[in-house]
Amino acid sequence: MSGFLIRRLAQGVISIVGASIVIFLISRLSGDPILILLPNDASPALIEDTRRNLGLDQPLWRQYLIFAQNALAGDFGRSYRWQMPALRLILDRLPATIELALCGLVFSVLIAVPIGVLSAVHRGGWIDRVGRIFAMLGQAMPAFWVGLLLILVFAIHLNWLPAFGHGGVSHVILPAIALGWYPVAAQTRIVRSAMLDVLDSDHIRLSRALGTPEHLIVWKYALRNAAIPLLTMLGVYFAAMLGGAFVVETIFAWPGVGRTVVEAVFSRDFPVVQAGVLFTSILFVISNLLVDLSYGIVDPRIRDAR
Amino acid sequence: MKPWQASILAAMSLAAPAVGYAQAPKPATGSLTIAFAAEATNMDPAKYAAGVDQYFFGQIYEQLVRPSPELKKINWLAESWELKADGGKPWLDIHIRKDVKFHTGDPLTSADFAFAYDRLRDNKISRWTHLQAAVEAFEIVDDHHFRIRFKHGDGSYIADNLQLWAMSKAYFEKVGDEEFGKHPVGTGPWKFVSRAIKEELRLEAFDDYWHPTARPGVKNLIVKIIPEDLTRVAAFKTGAVDWMDAVPPSMVEEFKKMPGVTTASFVAPNNLYVAMDAIGEKSPMKDVRVRQAVAHAIDVDAIIKSVLFNQGERYVQVGRGSTGYDPDLKPYPYDPRKARDLLKQAGYPSGFEVPCYNLTSPREPYIKEVGEAMFAYLISVGIRCKVQGQEYGAWITFGRRDRQGHIDGFYSNMWGHGSPGDPGTPWAGHVHTYVPGAGWGITSVHSDPELDVMIEELKQTMDQDKRDALIRRIARVKHERVAGGFPTYRPVVTFAWRDKVTFVGWPLPGFWRNMQQIGLKQ
Repeated sequence: MSGFLIRRLAQGVISIVGASIVIFLISRLSGDPILILLPNDASPALIEDTRRNLGLDQPLWRQYLIFAQNALAGDFGRSYRWQMPALRLILDRLPATIELALCGLVFSVLIAVPIGVLSAVHRGGWIDRVGRIFAMLGQAMPAFWVGLLLILVFAIHLNWLPAFGHGGVSHVILPAIALGWYPVAAQTRIVRSAMLDVLDSDHIRLSRALGTPEHLIVWKYALRNAAIPLLTMLGVYFAAMLGGAFVVETIFAWPGVGRTVVEAVFSRDFPVVQAGVLFTSILFVISNLLVDLSYGIVDPRIRDAR
Repeated sequence: MKPWQASILAAMSLAAPAVGYAQAPKPATGSLTIAFAAEATNMDPAKYAAGVDQYFFGQIYEQLVRPSPELKKINWLAESWELKADGGKPWLDIHIRKDVKFHTGDPLTSADFAFAYDRLRDNKISRWTHLQAAVEAFEIVDDHHFRIRFKHGDGSYIADNLQLWAMSKAYFEKVGDEEFGKHPVGTGPWKFVSRAIKEELRLEAFDDYWHPTARPGVKNLIVKIIPEDLTRVAAFKTGAVDWMDAVPPSMVEEFKKMPGVTTASFVAPNNLYVAMDAIGEKSPMKDVRVRQAVAHAIDVDAIIKSVLFNQGERYVQVGRGSTGYDPDLKPYPYDPRKARDLLKQAGYPSGFEVPCYNLTSPREPYIKEVGEAMFAYLISVGIRCKVQGQEYGAWITFGRRDRQGHIDGFYSNMWGHGSPGDPGTPWAGHVHTYVPGAGWGITSVHSDPELDVMIEELKQTMDQDKRDALIRRIARVKHERVAGGFPTYRPVVTFAWRDKVTFVGWPLPGFWRNMQQIGLKQ
């Protein structure tokens, strides 16, 4: 197990270094931030001084080495636009994004599990069909559209929930639904197919033969086994939600990392882009690592095979 | 004193607010929540990078001179100022008001402006040092009197509201650079309370504010940041905010009919135009007849009506209210037949094919759609546009002569003249011939020696009457020759507020988002 852990950690570090190089190069390929930072009529002297002050006059490889060296010490540089440490800008926004992603994940699981279970139990019946259609709608409708629809219905017409902002529980409900609906279909499929397998297994047949009530068989014994594939995928879904939250953050004026990074891309605020993407990469790598480790924990056969 | 000096003095002494009131204004009470579509990144007037930054620091900091809601330039922190000259070198003699305090309680003095000048001309701090480049010296005469001496004339210095922002030297020395930007202190009507990035700005009315009437009518102001149009509309409709920025153009009519809601539309500081390559060896647009054909081919009024839902104001060279605005200068009428005739006369009876670069990022509302409509009009008279979209980051580099050489064909472009403002700097950038390293024609694809001479004269002309006359002359020539592109429209922004709110729009700072006079009805 420890060898496996060390191997996966090493792979994770390589992935993060790779991501840092890619994002460093891609952000610089997008063009010169000086032209966005300075007014059109800025003097050549001011342009050159600003370039020098931001360290953009150095060769690219040296810029990367300086960035990597500083990043290892926790210094991602100062935002060109916000004129504050890029890392602070990202870390201050990170809790809001994590909160949104977690709530989105909880929503998706709360919807996907019952639908998946009921679809399996009533395989081919109307519950199965309606449940799958509902789940598929999430994948068919982009998050921005779902978000606007939710605002229209629940904020404007019904006036039940706030349309924007970050605050109490009421503020997170609509953004969480908008973010969490998309993976519902995939999660439903996972639960449904796992439930179908489990419901056909010998131990379930034995339970039925012993007269165990059906609701206990389905919701306790079968679901416990069927949930394993979903549980191991939750880390990946969570990481994907962290990375993909920016659309929902923009629609609901949610003060998260995604919105900050996307705006930084447009203004070529390299330090913020680098800090944001690198942090998301780290979270992604950690999530995947936890998923891999959880396989071994929930199913000893996998751990032993390693 | 020369006549032009006297005229400046007379002009500038107008609208100074009355001093000495019988009674101090009552402190404001209550709270108001409003929504902006965008937020500032920086709240330090010496470090700001974009116009949007003024949305925040413009509530807190003030300048010597500013335009009134009626677009008249009025003295603000300056009690009076006079343009003088010694040995051919101009200088400004400025007296500031004696009754102005910073939010810390410190009085505003000349030393604060000297401090602001030092910060604004330091390349390590400011992105606007070029605006102080013509200044030779800043001399303090006494606490409320200082002089700005110039190496040579700088026409945009006066035009741009005497450039300087009142920054507290004492506060900076007490708290240092970082805190100065994070917790701004100015002389303005609003005191900074707190800020949550991407969420909100909280302000409190400054009870010791110097102006007796142009002041907040509410104690607390919460500015929510809601970039998405429909979410902002939802926030307004559900009552979460009582004043909203940038009603989406397609919804302006609906808002106007909404009971209990007031709307007002203001012209934004940006001037849009169709840039065209008039210097390329084989470019058809080198011929003035082709450029005039372009001007006749595009139905700008129809585009404003149909694409922009009337949220645009047509302009001819200089925006309404700006220095040198000439109401008698009329736009080219839409006349596709004349456009085709002009193309024929220029030797293009079958038209020609040309690249047309369209900005696709929403730098202004519906700008992509406007570009598409304009290029479609060109195609209809035989100018066959090969349309290529450009994202903002690419577009901003694309137009730069020092980066891209010169671009061929047409491209949608813009350069703010201010609101109101002065076209001197924009014309130096996109009408004057490009001169590498000299600052002229940085985005220009035009070359006209006669216009170059006039624009160079304009750059040095500080006398506002002379400047006004010169701008009118340049505008006529520019219009006739369709030089430096074809001016199209200035975007219009509409705000909405509930009837319980009072609001007077001030053009600067903050491009009409200055909350100088917002309040609750008594």
